[in-house]
Amino acid sequence: MSENSTSRKMLSLVLLIAGAAGLVAALVMDFSGSENPIRGALLLLGAIVFLVGLYFIPTVEHHRSIINFIFLFPLLFTFAVTVIIPLLLGIFYSFTDWNGIKFNQFIGFTNYMSMFKDPAFIWSILLTFLFVVFNIILVNLVGFALALLCTSKLKGVNFFRAAYFLPNLIGGIVLGYIWQFAFNNVLVQVTAKTMNMQNSILSATNTAFAAIIVVYVWQYAGYIMLIYVTGLTTVPKDVLEASQIDGANAITTLMKIKIPMIASTITICTFLTLTSAFKQFDVNMALTNGTGSVADFMGSYLTNGTQMLALNIYNTAISKNSYALGQAKAVFFFIVLACVSIIQVRISNSKEVEM
Amino acid sequence: MKRKVIAVLLTSMMTLGLVACGGGSSDGGSDANASDGGSEESSSSEDSGSSAASGDTIRLVNGKIEIDAQLKKLAEMYKEETGVTVEIESMGGGIDIQGTLKGYYQAGNMPDIFVNGGATDFANWEGMLEDMSGEAWASDTDAAYVDANGTIGFPYTVEAVGLAYNADILEKAGIDPATLTGPDAIKTAFETLDSKKADLGIDAVVGYCAEATNLYWSTGNHVFANYIDGGLDREDTTYIDMLNDGGKLDEARLTDFANFVGLLNQYSDPALLVSGTYDQQILNFASGKYAFVTQGSWIGATMTTADADAYAAAGNFKVGMIPYAFQDGMDTILTNSPSWWAVFSDGNKDAAKAFLQWCSESTAQQVLVEEAGFISPFKSCTYVASDPFAQTIIDYQTAGKTSAWHWLGMKEGLAQNFTGQVFNDYAAGRLDAAGFVKTMQQVVQACYAN
Repeated sequence: MSENSTSRKMLSLVLLIAGAAGLVAALVMDFSGSENPIRGALLLLGAIVFLVGLYFIPTVEHHRSIINFIFLFPLLFTFAVTVIIPLLLGIFYSFTDWNGIKFNQFIGFTNYMSMFKDPAFIWSILLTFLFVVFNIILVNLVGFALALLCTSKLKGVNFFRAAYFLPNLIGGIVLGYIWQFAFNNVLVQVTAKTMNMQNSILSATNTAFAAIIVVYVWQYAGYIMLIYVTGLTTVPKDVLEASQIDGANAITTLMKIKIPMIASTITICTFLTLTSAFKQFDVNMALTNGTGSVADFMGSYLTNGTQMLALNIYNTAISKNSYALGQAKAVFFFIVLACVSIIQVRISNSKEVEM
Repeated sequence: MKRKVIAVLLTSMMTLGLVACGGGSSDGGSDANASDGGSEESSSSEDSGSSAASGDTIRLVNGKIEIDAQLKKLAEMYKEETGVTVEIESMGGGIDIQGTLKGYYQAGNMPDIFVNGGATDFANWEGMLEDMSGEAWASDTDAAYVDANGTIGFPYTVEAVGLAYNADILEKAGIDPATLTGPDAIKTAFETLDSKKADLGIDAVVGYCAEATNLYWSTGNHVFANYIDGGLDREDTTYIDMLNDGGKLDEARLTDFANFVGLLNQYSDPALLVSGTYDQQILNFASGKYAFVTQGSWIGATMTTADADAYAAAGNFKVGMIPYAFQDGMDTILTNSPSWWAVFSDGNKDAAKAFLQWCSESTAQQVLVEEAGFISPFKSCTYVASDPFAQTIIDYQTAGKTSAWHWLGMKEGLAQNFTGQVFNDYAAGRLDAAGFVKTMQQVVQACYAN
């Protein structure tokens, strides 16, 4: 047994060293700009040999955690490469004067200061909050109403469920362009004939903002409807029957039985609409690309009347070529969204305890 | 023990499989680094499999997707002549080319030749571009991009910004376009045309579209370009220098410009003015429904291809251009190379330079001019494009009545995020001429402040 243990120790040590050597060699090759075609294979082989060595480490008490680590490693590695490292790089770049190609110096908090001095950005924040409030109310109302319709005993309910859900399957950009055509080329014909209004509703800030809300509700209400449908079908039949025997009418049943019974669904839907409305980007970009004017906001004339936060970040980085400032705004956006998510998790957890 | 053996066997098989896959993909990766990598843009990049075989390969990122086929033809001809493979990767149609190039740079996948739109684009790549002042073509053209780093941009065409007109309609209305060299003359002409609309069969005098979401570039870049360069010598940088000095605008000049834009607002087709589209604008002009249109020479290609039927039905009328003469005596249209090809210093620069030199010579020019419809920027070129606007541009060039496109040096995003919307507000009647001037000053300053 002891001989077995020593040989395992040796094996594990050899494998660990060989794996690490392979990894280091491959990384050195890569960073020194070598075009050697085996470097990818070497990197992968090194990593695997290293993990195998880890597996053979002769220990009893840590064996389980080593195995846990080995099995989690691929996922953790992917998560780090695609999420954690870019996040850290983004935070790093937000303190520099990066232009997407190179950066010359660290400029501390200058980006963060200048973004809050920019009325256009403040406007985008306020507009996003306004959009979120409108959407939480409207999407949930419409979604819930559709869910009530789709759980009633109408004919062809399944068809309507599918039809209401369909807009959610179309990508936001495509949807935005479809609606832009509808507003700019079709609705204009109608308004020109009836009200002598030749300008599309997308050309004035207020109506354009309303148009974005309409399109967004149209897109998202079907999705929320599905969740409400699931909630409504889980309401126990016996409770409903009992209320019917007691003589409750449809409205009383709805207010006193159905809505209280699906309170947790309502919480879920509220937060779903909240986070997705916060991150609204594609419809906004395709429909107006943030155009629209605000005559006087904080003493200046704004030209980004319908530009929400995500689009503001995108345009700052891409179209105005201020990548570092865009990064700073994105970090701010991340903090706001993280706060919202934490509150959401807290509230849903406390609800679960109650149930 | 048996289970252990099986486990080890299985693991080693999986390992082998992974290594094999990894090796394959890394081969592909390095190959991509060396030669192609543009396979995402698969619609346009040349077949990369064959490229590695024969010696040198250069890769060109083209910003005019409409001439993709012609460039690929050039690449083939070049391969036959010299054996050097040229891969053409075309982008356009709303793609942010500089953004994509930045992505390529981060990925170590830079093309050898790529397109740059002006001073702001070139500034991005400062110190990474080859000085080509020693090349033979550099002395054969006035349109190269030259700055403190030398001749770093290769011109490939000339485009013109002017107020395009339908010559047949003007002739019928008895207006000589040569006399339209001041705001008063143009105003009178507009009034005449407006009063004869029914006789001439036109819907409106001007097709001017100030839509801000998709057409900001027309107003914010090309119409506004006339404020910056209208009537000036090619080397005169007065107004662009003022603009780039913290966003200053000359109030008197801007007021005259605003009054002229007001004239366009007044006589434009109301269905097009605020919410129109580019397609609608060009189609209506090609169908002979407008006497003037506020687009440059590039619409010639649209008129003779996409709108060819409408254009033929309207009698393939002659076209021309007058200056945006918002002050008396302005007699120049704005011509320039709209973008340039630059050579990346860390790339295959000698082969790239040789290819550009070949592009400026007769065989390549024939394809570029006669098939791609380019107006050659090279003096030695004798070919004439069949484009409807080619003759007008050549006339203005021979008369020396051209100004440059200094708007290319405006701050990035100015038109898209700021001025395009102000033109739209003016067109929609939310601003008057004085309000336009005041707002413009304020908005441009806000843009330059950040």
